[in-house]
Amino acid sequence: MNRQMIIASLKARPVRTTVGVLAVALQVILMLVILGLTTGISTETGKRTEGVGADILLQAPNSSLILALSQSTMALSYGDKLRQFDGIKAVAPVFTLVNQGAGLEIVYGIEPESFDAMNEGFVWHKGGIFKGPDDLVVDDIYAQAKRVKVGDRVELLNHTFTVTGVVEHGKGARLFVPLKTAQEMAGQADKASLFFIKVKDPQQVKAIIAELGKALPTYKITDVKEYTTMMMSNNMAALDAFISTVVFISLCIGVLVIFLSMYTTITERTREIGILRSMGASKGFIMSLIFQESATICLIGTVVGIGSSFLIRTVIQSIFPTLMVMITADWIAKAAMFAILSGLIGSFYPALKAAAQDPVEALAYE
Amino acid sequence: MKTLLETIDLRKTYKVGKVQVEALRGVNLRIHEGELTAIMGPSGCGKSTLMHILGAMTKPTEGKVLINGQDIGTMSDGQLTAVRRDKIGFVFQKFNLLPTLTARTNIDVARHIHGTAGSNGHDDHLAEILQLLMIEDKMGRRPSELSGGEQQRVAIARAVANKPAILLADEPTGSLDSRNSDIVLNMFRQLNQRFKQTIILVTHNPELVPYTDRLIQMRDGVIVNDNDSSWNTESELAPQPALGV
Repeated sequence: MNRQMIIASLKARPVRTTVGVLAVALQVILMLVILGLTTGISTETGKRTEGVGADILLQAPNSSLILALSQSTMALSYGDKLRQFDGIKAVAPVFTLVNQGAGLEIVYGIEPESFDAMNEGFVWHKGGIFKGPDDLVVDDIYAQAKRVKVGDRVELLNHTFTVTGVVEHGKGARLFVPLKTAQEMAGQADKASLFFIKVKDPQQVKAIIAELGKALPTYKITDVKEYTTMMMSNNMAALDAFISTVVFISLCIGVLVIFLSMYTTITERTREIGILRSMGASKGFIMSLIFQESATICLIGTVVGIGSSFLIRTVIQSIFPTLMVMITADWIAKAAMFAILSGLIGSFYPALKAAAQDPVEALAYE
Repeated sequence: MKTLLETIDLRKTYKVGKVQVEALRGVNLRIHEGELTAIMGPSGCGKSTLMHILGAMTKPTEGKVLINGQDIGTMSDGQLTAVRRDKIGFVFQKFNLLPTLTARTNIDVARHIHGTAGSNGHDDHLAEILQLLMIEDKMGRRPSELSGGEQQRVAIARAVANKPAILLADEPTGSLDSRNSDIVLNMFRQLNQRFKQTIILVTHNPELVPYTDRLIQMRDGVIVNDNDSSWNTESELAPQPALGV
C-alpha cells in the first residue's frame, strides 16, 4: 500500500520528482566520475611506475608524488654519482613532460640503454627505438586510441615527432622521446626530473634508501613498491582530503536538494497529511511514508547516476582515450550509500514537520 | 439504548492572538449506539469544534469526552490516533479524498492504516457498502474523474470500511447540489438502518433534519435544544446553560 501511495505521489509531481532524481544522480556522478578520474590517474601512474622495473625513485626536493607534475629537476651528473653507490645496479634518468592539450599525457624523455636496464626493456609491437632527436615511441594504447602507426608524424608540445615504434603499455609513460630532446623542449639541458634506480639485491632496498638519504638528505627517495601501493590504494593524504571534500560536497548537494524537495512537498501536501492523520495514521506512519518516498527518489537517482557515470566515462575516454576513469564496485556501493544517506538526512526535518502537524489545522489548510 | 459517546461539561478555549475565544462553553450530551444524530447550528456556534473533539482530533480544554466509557480528553497523541483509527470514521464537506489515488486505493489506505486490508470479514463488509453506495464501478477512477456526489460516496465508503463505532460527518452535503445531497443523505439513512451505524451529522442546513432521528441545536458554544427522548427521561447531567449566558 505504501508503495502505491509513493508511486502515485511521485507520478503526481513529475517536475519535483525529476529534479530530485537528477540532483541525486548528479551527486552520484560527482562522486563516481571525479573520484574515478582521480583514482584512475593515480592507480595507473602507480602501475606504470612499477612497470618500469626500478626499485627506488629519486626526485629533487619538494617534488610531487604525481611524477608528471614535478617541476623540480636535478643535474644529470647525479646519475654518475648514484652509480658509484654500493648495491646499485643501474640508474635511469628521466625528464618528464606533460602534454595537457589532450587530457594529461605524460611524456618520458629517456636514454634507451639506461631505461632498458631497469627491466627486460620494451616489448615491441611494431618498429623500434629512436634513431634521431625527433623520434617518438608510443605505447599500444596510445597508438590504438590515436590511430597512430610507425612512420606517422605526431604533433606534441609544439614539436613534430616521427613515430619509430609501438611498445607494450605499462612502462612509466605512454610516450617516449630522447632525453636530450625533452630537456631541450623544457629548456633545461643536462637535467633530469627523476632517477629510476635498480638495485643488485632487492632485499637491500631499505638499506640503500637509508644510505641515499644520508647522502641526499633533502631529496625525495621512494621505495617503488611502497609508492605503487600508495598510489593504487589512494592512501595519499592529499588525495584523501580531496576525496573527502568531493564526498562532502556531493552529500551536501543531495541533502539540500532532498530537503528542499521534501519540504516543499510537505507544505503542498499538508491537507493530505491531515486526511491521513484523521484516518488514524500515526506520526510514525507519516514519517515512514516521507522517508520511503525520499529513499525512492534517491534510489532512482542512484541508478540514473551510476548509468550516467558509465556513459560519461565512455564519453571522456572517447575524447581523451588515454585517461583512465576507475568506477569500482566499492565506490558504486559508497555512492549509493551516500545518496540514500543524503535522502534520509534531507527528509528528516520535513518528515518530522509532517508528523507533527495538527490534524485539524492540516485539514483546514488550503 | 447503550450510550456510546458522552460529553460532560465540555469546554474548549482557543487563543487567537491575545484574545481567548470560548468555542465550547460546557457541552453535555450523550450519543446512543445506532443513532443518527444531527448537530445543527449557525457558523461559529462551535459545532465543528465539538466534532473535532468527538472525533479525537483535538483535546478539550476542560470536561470529559467518553467513548465507550474511556475518557479521550486525557489521552496521549498516540492514544488519540488509535481512537481515530479504531473507532471513528470521518466524512468532510470537501470530501478530502487523496487526489493522487484511485477510489479503491483511497479506501484501501484507510483499511491499511486500520490493519484490516485483506481480511475476509472486512472484504465482505466493504463489498456490501460499495453496493449500497452504488460506486462499485467507480473504484478505478481518481477523485478528479468523479462527480461531487460520487466523491462523497467514496469518502463515506472509506469512512465506514473499518466498521467504526461512530461516523462523524461535517457538512457532508455542503459541496453538493440538492439531488446529490438527497442521494448522500439517503445513504447515511441506509447505513444507519442496515448496519446500525452510529452517525453524527454536523451541519447548518435544516434540510438534513428529516433524515435524522435526533436533532441537537447549538448556539454560542452551548447546546440550546436536544430532542433526545431518552435524554429527557434519563438525564443525570446538569441543565444546559441558557442561551447567551
